[in-house]
Amino acid sequence: MTPAYLVLCRIALSVLSVLLRKGHRQLLVLAHLIDAGLIGMLFVRLYTVGECECVLGPWTAATSIAFSVDRIGLTFVSLAFALSVAVTLYTWRDALKPYAFLLLNLLVGACYALSFTKDLFNAYVLFELITLSSFLLVGYDRKPCQIWASLRYLILSSFGMTIFLFGIAVAYYHAGTLHLDALASAVAANPSSPWITLSAALLVTGVSVKAGVFVFSLWLPSAHAEAPPAVSALLSGLVIKMGVVELFRLSGVFPLETTLLVLGFVTAFLGLVYAVRTKHIKRMLAFHTLSQIGYLLIGFGAGTESARVGALDYAVAHGLFKGLLFLVVGEIATLAGSDDLDQLVQHRDRFPRACRWMLIVACLGILGLPPFAGFAAKAVLEAGIHSTLVHALVALVSVGTAASFAKLVPLLSRPFGGPRCAVPRAVGYGWLGAAILFFLPLSRLLVPQPIWLTTFNALAFVEALAAVLLGFAVYRLLQHVPWRLPRNIFRIEEALTAVLAGFILVWSLLAAA
Amino acid sequence: MNGSIGIIVAISLFGVGTLGLILRRDLVIKLLALGLVNTSAILCLLSLDSQATSAPPLLVPAYTQQMIDPLPQALVLSAIVINFAILALALVFVMRIVEQYHTLDPQRVEHEVEEERR
Amino acid sequence: MNRSIRRSLYITSIFALVGAFCAIVWHGFTYAGAGSASVQRWIETATLLGTRNVVSSIYLGTRFLDSVLELLVFAVAVLGVRHFLDETAPGSTAEPPDPSSESHVVSAAARLMLPIVVLLGLYLAVHGHLSPGGGFSGGVVAASGLLMAAIAIGSAPVSRRLAPPTALERIEWSAMLLILALVVAPVAISLPPFSPLLPAGTVGRLASGGNVLPYNLLIAIKVFIGSWTVVQQFLRHRGGI
Repeated sequence: MTPAYLVLCRIALSVLSVLLRKGHRQLLVLAHLIDAGLIGMLFVRLYTVGECECVLGPWTAATSIAFSVDRIGLTFVSLAFALSVAVTLYTWRDALKPYAFLLLNLLVGACYALSFTKDLFNAYVLFELITLSSFLLVGYDRKPCQIWASLRYLILSSFGMTIFLFGIAVAYYHAGTLHLDALASAVAANPSSPWITLSAALLVTGVSVKAGVFVFSLWLPSAHAEAPPAVSALLSGLVIKMGVVELFRLSGVFPLETTLLVLGFVTAFLGLVYAVRTKHIKRMLAFHTLSQIGYLLIGFGAGTESARVGALDYAVAHGLFKGLLFLVVGEIATLAGSDDLDQLVQHRDRFPRACRWMLIVACLGILGLPPFAGFAAKAVLEAGIHSTLVHALVALVSVGTAASFAKLVPLLSRPFGGPRCAVPRAVGYGWLGAAILFFLPLSRLLVPQPIWLTTFNALAFVEALAAVLLGFAVYRLLQHVPWRLPRNIFRIEEALTAVLAGFILVWSLLAAA
Repeated sequence: MNGSIGIIVAISLFGVGTLGLILRRDLVIKLLALGLVNTSAILCLLSLDSQATSAPPLLVPAYTQQMIDPLPQALVLSAIVINFAILALALVFVMRIVEQYHTLDPQRVEHEVEEERR
Repeated sequence: MNRSIRRSLYITSIFALVGAFCAIVWHGFTYAGAGSASVQRWIETATLLGTRNVVSSIYLGTRFLDSVLELLVFAVAVLGVRHFLDETAPGSTAEPPDPSSESHVVSAAARLMLPIVVLLGLYLAVHGHLSPGGGFSGGVVAASGLLMAAIAIGSAPVSRRLAPPTALERIEWSAMLLILALVVAPVAISLPPFSPLLPAGTVGRLASGGNVLPYNLLIAIKVFIGSWTVVQQFLRHRGGI
């Protein structure tokens, strides 16, 4: 029953924060303490008893909603908790209306529920709740460019969720159930029926609009770039991962390996190409998020257990360092008054000194160097890939990541000269930095995996270092090549056309497999 | 006359709505098309299991033999409320955009936003 | 290639794409009459919960979490509408036309119909567990009665007769808190949350159905106030933005 308490407690506290006039931050602190206690209890139960499924209420799974407390769910709940603490600390001194506290609490509570849920329609309602809260948070300052970005987000997201609802209709009509496990047995009983291909394609298309797959999520760069910094951190770090969780759960029901591989490669490469090219720092981070989601999909599509575990851990690690990056970059961009990288380099003397170290920690995490969280996750993922072609392409993705982050070197090469960082924000950054350093050892301690110890060796370290250096070299080469990328594809009409085209691509991949 | 007519109509409405969403250059008409797209999914859910002889989902002895499946109807209730919320908010955002840029054409709004950024 | 050819090529390709989508969906649907869902489990659930309306035993009984979340979506949307529209629009010079000067027949008829419509909404909400209806439709019907009155006699006179907006917001969110309290209350008697508290009673009587009647009433209050807020904001800004 504990996962239900986790969700209900957050929802109850969010409703209270609208009713009360003062004391919102104390309520937030209380919420986080209760969450920490409940999550700890869930971890203990997972470690001692194992994975279990609990149904909401005194009914059976056939008539009610089922939450499954497994390793995936708990990992993402911890990610949601960590980012929620960081964002609370970041916005500690900002003047926020009670409505903002409601939205933040609801967003986190819905992410808790979505990590656990095993019911298709519950996932639909939770996705819509998350969409609505994040859409309102993106437009919170009421600036026109934010309103335009979030309107595009809303239209595309609603379109994608309607496609998801069609998928639910097809799946329910033929399988008679909304529970993912029962659906999996219905699929396995009759694997070549046409309805399976159709419902898998519809469901995957619907979730991919939210999950940050490049062809479907063309709303992502502007929405993540225009939002206020704390909201960008939540969006890029947490909300996208919820789509990834649902894709993972769907890949346990339908045979999605080839589809995920293809989508993963397309997303990773197109995201990197745009990330290397752009000079607007928040957009670069948003494009880089897209490419990392592609990397995760490759991990899921590879099919082996090691690759899946590595992909999940990398998802959480990426959430942590992308969250930290967005928070710090948000602060320095506000201080400099501009998002352009050259302007940021010029105004370096305005930024707090601590921000430079935090940026360095986050970048080292992204580049995959030990001992930060990214390194072990990437090593585990690559150990699970057996085909040399996929291996080579994954190595290219690492090189590309390094290339896109090489442009931050001039910003970080000399110390910042500004005033001290505000204490709550410094604590928030420190919290995330510590999480990046200690995340993976902690998770391995709690849930032992035999794969891990074999991957932490010198060859992996050399590979990571070589990828970074190669990436820097590639960036220097590409700097002098004038090439223009199409910017028109991020408009509403083109984005919708891309969703339809992507659906046809996914359906043909599934029908051919 | 069974549910297949409802499903064909739902799919056609989805197609018409998507065409309107992509091809029309007026933000309010795009929102109407989005509403149409959402409603088509609801129609599809409702006509899933319906036959000419289906009875309403009430616990009356005359109806329990041929009762229609009540689960899609419960799902549809949630979906309708969610669609209403989304359309209301999207309309509010369109109102703010029109107030700022004095145009309902999305290409012109894009152009203005790009200009502002420079 | 000149513009009109390019434009018609674009339109044709969009039509082809959407047509392909619809064809794929229809082909894969493989509709074959009755599906494989069994209705028996829902009849048993409804008998257990004591509601004559089987659908309300689903969305207010076994799958109540979905309804709680969707109520939150609705409430957040209402707050969002108020957050964005709650200030005077700059540069709005047009005054909305004064409706009360238009026709006495319309305003008299609206004043006559308003209590009937609100009573109808209340009836739908209270009898949600006996016949099709429930809190959502009851609340919307009652709010539409207020909308009719606001169109006929102006939204300002109608808002003046209701409680002030902050009080309405408090009532709405207190209803939400009461719903959550009813959900969590079974924990105090060592039952899991979402269990029915009130007894099921005999099917068909007003006092039956467990928690469904209180849920319907609270949902009706919430949806009524929320819909009226949204509608009133839009009415106030007509001609303005």
